[in-house]
Amino acid sequence: MGKTRSAPSTQPDGKSGPRIGVFVCHCGSNIAGVVDTGKVREAAEKLEGVVVARENRYTCSDLGQEEIIKAIKENGVERVVVAACSPRLHEPTFRKCIEQAGLNPYLLHMVNIREQCSWVHGHEKERATDKASALVSMGVSKARQLEPLIAREVPVEPTSLVIGGGVAGIQASLDLANMGFKVYLVETQPSIGGKMAQLDKTFPTGDCAICILAPKMVELSRHPNITLLSYSDVEEVKGYVGSYEVKVRRKARFVEEDKCVGCGLCSDACPVKVDNEFDLGFGQRKAIYVPFPQAVPLKYTVDKENCLHFKSGKCLLCVKACMNKAIDHKMQDEILNLKVGTIIVATGYDTYIPQRKGVYKYWEYDNVITAMELERLLNASGPTGGHLIRPSDDKPPKRVAFIQCVGSRNKKIGNNYCSRVCCMYAIKNAQIIMEHDSEAEIAIYYNDIRAFGKGFEELYHRIREDYAVEFIRGRPAKLSQDPVTKNIKIRAEETLLNKITEREFDLVVLSTGLIASEGSKRIGKTLGLTISPDGFFMEAHPKLRPVDTAMDGIFLAGCAQSPKDIPDSVAQAKAAASSAAAPMFMKKVWIEPLTAFVDENLCVGCGLCTELCPYGAPELVQSEKGGMKAHVIEALCHGCGTCAASCPQKAVAPQQFTDGQLYSELQAALAEAPRRNGAKKKADAEVS
Amino acid sequence: MKEQEKEVEKVFIGGLHEELVEDKVIDESQLEPDFPDEIKKYGGKDVMTCLQCGNCTGVCPISLKIDYKTRNIIKCCQFGLKKYTLGTRWVCATCYRCYEHCPADLNPAEVMIALRHIAVREGIIPPFIKTAATNLVKYGQSVKPDSEIDKIRSELDLGLIHSQDPEYHTVIREIQVLVHATKYDKLIGIQDEVKV
Repeated sequence: MGKTRSAPSTQPDGKSGPRIGVFVCHCGSNIAGVVDTGKVREAAEKLEGVVVARENRYTCSDLGQEEIIKAIKENGVERVVVAACSPRLHEPTFRKCIEQAGLNPYLLHMVNIREQCSWVHGHEKERATDKASALVSMGVSKARQLEPLIAREVPVEPTSLVIGGGVAGIQASLDLANMGFKVYLVETQPSIGGKMAQLDKTFPTGDCAICILAPKMVELSRHPNITLLSYSDVEEVKGYVGSYEVKVRRKARFVEEDKCVGCGLCSDACPVKVDNEFDLGFGQRKAIYVPFPQAVPLKYTVDKENCLHFKSGKCLLCVKACMNKAIDHKMQDEILNLKVGTIIVATGYDTYIPQRKGVYKYWEYDNVITAMELERLLNASGPTGGHLIRPSDDKPPKRVAFIQCVGSRNKKIGNNYCSRVCCMYAIKNAQIIMEHDSEAEIAIYYNDIRAFGKGFEELYHRIREDYAVEFIRGRPAKLSQDPVTKNIKIRAEETLLNKITEREFDLVVLSTGLIASEGSKRIGKTLGLTISPDGFFMEAHPKLRPVDTAMDGIFLAGCAQSPKDIPDSVAQAKAAASSAAAPMFMKKVWIEPLTAFVDENLCVGCGLCTELCPYGAPELVQSEKGGMKAHVIEALCHGCGTCAASCPQKAVAPQQFTDGQLYSELQAALAEAPRRNGAKKKADAEVS
Repeated sequence: MKEQEKEVEKVFIGGLHEELVEDKVIDESQLEPDFPDEIKKYGGKDVMTCLQCGNCTGVCPISLKIDYKTRNIIKCCQFGLKKYTLGTRWVCATCYRCYEHCPADLNPAEVMIALRHIAVREGIIPPFIKTAATNLVKYGQSVKPDSEIDKIRSELDLGLIHSQDPEYHTVIREIQVLVHATKYDKLIGIQDEVKV
């Protein structure tokens, strides 16, 4: 149970101040493998105010925590310094631990000697030990200055906001609504359904995508606990966990939703035809439209850009056709103010668009299409009624090639990640094409086939054995078009044969990857979420908190967090729903008291902090003592310290990061202490 | 002698994988794990980033003419098969097409240049490089001037060739001083030609 020394029963004479306990963790060999923890403990023992210094193999274990409790109870320790891992991991653990022993939980200071010491200085053990001792000395110095703080309890509004109406958003909304919470689902498009509604079949089972999604969409639209806000955008989010204030813009769809019955007479009457974005330009729609037949809500929307009435002020054929008088071209955007306790972000993904001057000539050759375009061409409710044709001559293609990893696993364009779904959707689409036409010849140009999910490998085997689809391991180097037949010739190295191959195809499908959606970027800014290097939202912990964000009360679901297939998106949506439900069931949350506070005696009411604060937390109020003084609204404060850095009077500071506390740490860091000899000696040796 | 030289030239330009074909089994003794680091030292990027997608081979203009597989050479580099990779990369024209297309952002052309550096330092120098270097220190240009070239130049009204230039000897001397100072003559093995 670690080495101990007998603690002095009283503090050294003449020294006042709190009694400090230091606990140095080995973290197995994570720390002790590099840092000489015995030396660190010995150095800590000599520091002012330290009455107990111990080491543990794992301080976070029950044994380690018991030792801290014992030290508090038996040695009268009043401040606890734990030298271990990052506070992000175990600060809550040790706070609870010292609270159990009767101390205020904020009288703890964690010194990170793992991530910031042993892990980064593995090659120089002696100097790592010196650094660890210095860090502990700084921690002890700060611990001396710690003040007890009280966490604040705030009520939680039992309402959730779900942003994004794809399969993840739909599932999360349904789960929360079924638990009895009120849900607002905001979707920017006229219909919910997201990308899944555009797909033909799903891998590996071959279920029709819209057939399994539509029942959920209908259930959602009829659920008494769900308010569906389609064709709407989240404009502004303020507040904190438990009570977020959300401003939603309901874009004018120029059709009154409660009057429209979705009969489609208006659309029949409309004289304007434009490309349908839902079919990626292959099909057409009218200027008053629903994007697809199963749309939810089945309410028509006027496309302001193309409507003749907005262009010329005339037409109005749709208005004449509508029997319910639902169409109103004078409709304005509406702003809704919602109050919600938790938020689920399910803003999905965009498909990668091949570069204009790219190698695969997507913009130049008609018969090079993307996978999403193929999905629409194969889809029974798509522009061709499910008959696969190629764009150049509308004939069914006999020879089809798939090119994998377009826009994924490519450092040149900055998308280093694997999009996770392209291998399987290419295989699935190859199967569908073979089922349409058993004479077809299909080749898949791949780098690696990633068939990792349940039933994926079996589908991969089936497609090779039953359908004789050819797999060519190599990234195509050159595509050239026959000027007459418009066939595409692909040159690629078959790396397993070590030969360069040249083959001709009727249709080439680019298996484009998934990228963070434009909507995600906008919502990310509104909510202040962190973005990973790949552009998707960053989760709080990649393994243990995959649906949480760094912001309390905001959760992630689906492809907004990373590329996923449908089962994974649904699973994450359910996880996000259950995480969001937890504080709403409890009806209250505890908010950390690490907020800024103002010393009214020093404040001169200049108002600089109110201008600089990114969260609008400080405000100027009339003081009882006369004059204007700054006052921090704790609920809005994030403890970032901008106000403290800017205040000319040093009147404001975040708790636990006051000037006094930071300076005491600095003084300890700069003090010339005997523990520095090791480092100095080495530096001298290097000089000589 | 002539036949032998021809044979050597052939190996240096085209016959890349003769040894690779002959070796039925590659065992650990043939591997040099530090080879990727050596390539980095001589200016190549990290070959370990290569995904072996074969895009470089496909776009390589040389690969359409002779048996030359960029991807294979990178694989040998990753593996540490140094002996297969040295002395045979002179065929690369460093057109940088492979670099343009590489999804791993590796630069195979610069790896080829690094391999040449390493090969020369190990004394594996193809005869035509020696000839070109000799011409450089003798005539100030890597191609030996002859009457045929002079004829074409006069037809094109291009003026005197260097060897007929009055400043010619000063120029040659300057080149020789440079070649000697950088120890290039010693590296290539043409010390006898340099008279400084």
